[in-house]
Amino acid sequence: MKLYRKEGNILQILSFPNETVEKGDYLLVEDMEARKALIAQVIDVQFASVPGVLEELLRSLPDGGELVLGEDFDPLEIASHINYIQDASLLVCKIRATVENENLSPSSSWLPSRSQSTIKRLPVPTLLKLARIEGKLPIILGGTKDSSLLTIDASHLDGRLNIITGKKETGKSHLSKLLMINLVGYKATVVVFDLNGEYISLGMTGDGKRNAHYDKIHVLTPGQNFKTALKHVNLHVLLGILIHALHLPGTSAREFRRIWQSLREKDMLTLHELGEAIRNWNCNQLVRDALSSRYHALINSGFFTDSVCEATLLEDSLFKAEEHGGAIVINLRNTSAIDRQVVVEYVLGRLVEQLTSWKLKATFLFAEEAHLYLRETYWDDIVTRMRHFGIFTTFITNQPDTVKENIYRQADNIFLFNFTNEHDLEVVSRAARVDAETVKSIARDLPPHHCLVLGKVVKDFPMVVKVKAMDVKTMGETRLFFKDMN
Amino acid sequence: MVIEQYTIATPPKYNFPQPTIDEALPQRLLEQSMGSLRYPQPQHFQLNQQSFQQSAKIDLHAETLQLGMQPIPLKPIHEETQIAACDTSTIKIGETSTGILIAVRGANVWKKHRSYKYNRFGPFIFHITEENKKEVYDAIERAYFVSGRVQGHPGIVNLMQNPTRIASLLERWLQATLSRVLNNGIVLFDGSLTAGTVDTPIERLRGILVKARECKNVVLAFSKITNLRAKGRLITDLALERGTPYLLETTGLKPKPPIVLLGDVYVARLSHRSFAFRLDIDKEDPYEQRIEALGKLIGNDVLSQGYPETLRLAHILCTFTANEVIAMQHFVARRCGLIIINRPDMHRLLFGPFGRGESYS
Repeated sequence: MKLYRKEGNILQILSFPNETVEKGDYLLVEDMEARKALIAQVIDVQFASVPGVLEELLRSLPDGGELVLGEDFDPLEIASHINYIQDASLLVCKIRATVENENLSPSSSWLPSRSQSTIKRLPVPTLLKLARIEGKLPIILGGTKDSSLLTIDASHLDGRLNIITGKKETGKSHLSKLLMINLVGYKATVVVFDLNGEYISLGMTGDGKRNAHYDKIHVLTPGQNFKTALKHVNLHVLLGILIHALHLPGTSAREFRRIWQSLREKDMLTLHELGEAIRNWNCNQLVRDALSSRYHALINSGFFTDSVCEATLLEDSLFKAEEHGGAIVINLRNTSAIDRQVVVEYVLGRLVEQLTSWKLKATFLFAEEAHLYLRETYWDDIVTRMRHFGIFTTFITNQPDTVKENIYRQADNIFLFNFTNEHDLEVVSRAARVDAETVKSIARDLPPHHCLVLGKVVKDFPMVVKVKAMDVKTMGETRLFFKDMN
Repeated sequence: MVIEQYTIATPPKYNFPQPTIDEALPQRLLEQSMGSLRYPQPQHFQLNQQSFQQSAKIDLHAETLQLGMQPIPLKPIHEETQIAACDTSTIKIGETSTGILIAVRGANVWKKHRSYKYNRFGPFIFHITEENKKEVYDAIERAYFVSGRVQGHPGIVNLMQNPTRIASLLERWLQATLSRVLNNGIVLFDGSLTAGTVDTPIERLRGILVKARECKNVVLAFSKITNLRAKGRLITDLALERGTPYLLETTGLKPKPPIVLLGDVYVARLSHRSFAFRLDIDKEDPYEQRIEALGKLIGNDVLSQGYPETLRLAHILCTFTANEVIAMQHFVARRCGLIIINRPDMHRLLFGPFGRGESYS
């Protein structure tokens, strides 16, 4: 390999047919005299612009496009040299760092010698060692192309905003389960908004037996084993549900607050009493109607109950999880869109309550297709306010444009699976922690179950990993009509 | 000196309707090539590309030249006729402290059953020095043209003339081969039928034409460029646009001895709205045969811009492209232990942007 050109932080390297380098590989451009080296990542492989190639191709085609057939008497075997030159490739590389005295710096401001520099492939284990990516809390994500393991440090997910994205059936949920299980293994508290019931069997092995995580996975299904009594709910949490999930107007919300205070003073906070109070409250008919319709929505959700023994205290699960590590899976599978928002609003409200009062230390929140249940204002909350409360969110989506742009800008880690759609790649490439060329070039060619890891977990050295398999019962498979026929 | 022997075999699908092809010349080219590229110690070489034009300026008395203004009309004859052409190319690929590195390649192309086939010979790479220039040339010439050798080679004094001489030898060999293996066909040469020059002795060209006539072939030699003028204007500029395809006869051309013309010179415009070319046809061929041969050429070959496709392909196939030059430089650096150096271009160095040297970038 030969150094050809440097423009900004782009290196162009000439590579010959016997040197097999692919997109995503790392190269070390070492200038012995300067005692420095550049670490560059291949983001595109092109044909080298060899002069005369077009003429070479054209001359075998006479009129009509028919090939001219013939014999070459080439005793010096120059043809092999011609092929060698013609097949030379140009590696477009992004400079990721400079190595000087075994220390890495993000600088790309120096120019290595074009004639004297040596260029060689940098094996991933060497890079991991140089970048000190492995930490005290290792999470093995999977294998890299050169058969080494990519291990990240769980502490680099702590306090961070993460995004897992890629098109359908590329392995997003699998990776989120892997991260979740590992976090739980390090005694972290994890809350999952499980839209399709994919996480409910995380405590089971593929053949349906209990696995090591069984006792740490707490599945809460709204309306079934997850209900709440009104007396366990704080007014501001319920107002949050009424205003944000059920769109209660401000005037009606004020009346509701009065009704609620009146019932609490009388210690009559039950669904029945609340219904009666709304019916008999001295207020404008329109306000009454608004309150009544929201009341019936709460009743119909099946999430609220008057029976204290039927009610589940979310806090109990959270505390249990905090003690030994655990995941609370909120199963939203058969929940309607409105009820889903009610439940999410409730869970987030209670979480914030627990965190602000320091009853909980911190929580990792995994949200699948969050645009289906997260209200507008929560997006900003998540990147600003909630982080300070100790909610560290991981968004999982196959529609990257549903996640707001500022989320990408603030994201600390991005786990990117294959995308072929230009628009999707464009959206993801707005992430601050990576350059658009890398995202567009590498993500487009990722095979299924291969993920481009970007951000702090890999110390900003984008790496492609084949996510390792897990022995858990998969629930995220697509239900097929023709499955039995094939 | 013991020379490494390479086994030379005729290309297996050389499907000319003749049983034997003389292999002596390619064998000798290879031997000389390998011999010239063998060095006792590593040498430096400077990349420097330069194409050599084979058409040397020949002194002809053209003052009396007249162009017949009565066009001889040509009619396409579609009777299937084999058309063959050959061409060679040479290029300087670098310089050493003692000489130059050159490459030579030749190609035969023929058209039969509406398809083109070719045989390409080379590239042969030579390191020509003042010491070996005569030895290399003589050895190659001895391999084939024993009868027509020019004694003493008075012309080979300049190193830079040597590449075109070697290419010319290869070209004559290709022409002789085509003239001998083809029957009742048309053989197209690149250039004229002028003989008596240092690299084209009269006997050599005459021998080729005799062979062609023996095999009932007609030799048509097309010159892409000509300096012949009639009434002060280039003969190819005087050709009429109307009535194509046609021939214009020339008269009064008297070459200065020892130069002789073995062909009659015409101006040919072979297709509508195309260029006119100087065309030499063997003097010994009867007039009717010449006209018939041109009719068959028009009826059997593609004439893009008035130039035969077979000859065009021969030229294209032997011409060196830039990447082939790089590959050959790569070859000599790897196989022959030459060390590439980049000597500064004095023109550029002294005159900056005004210096246009021969540097190859």
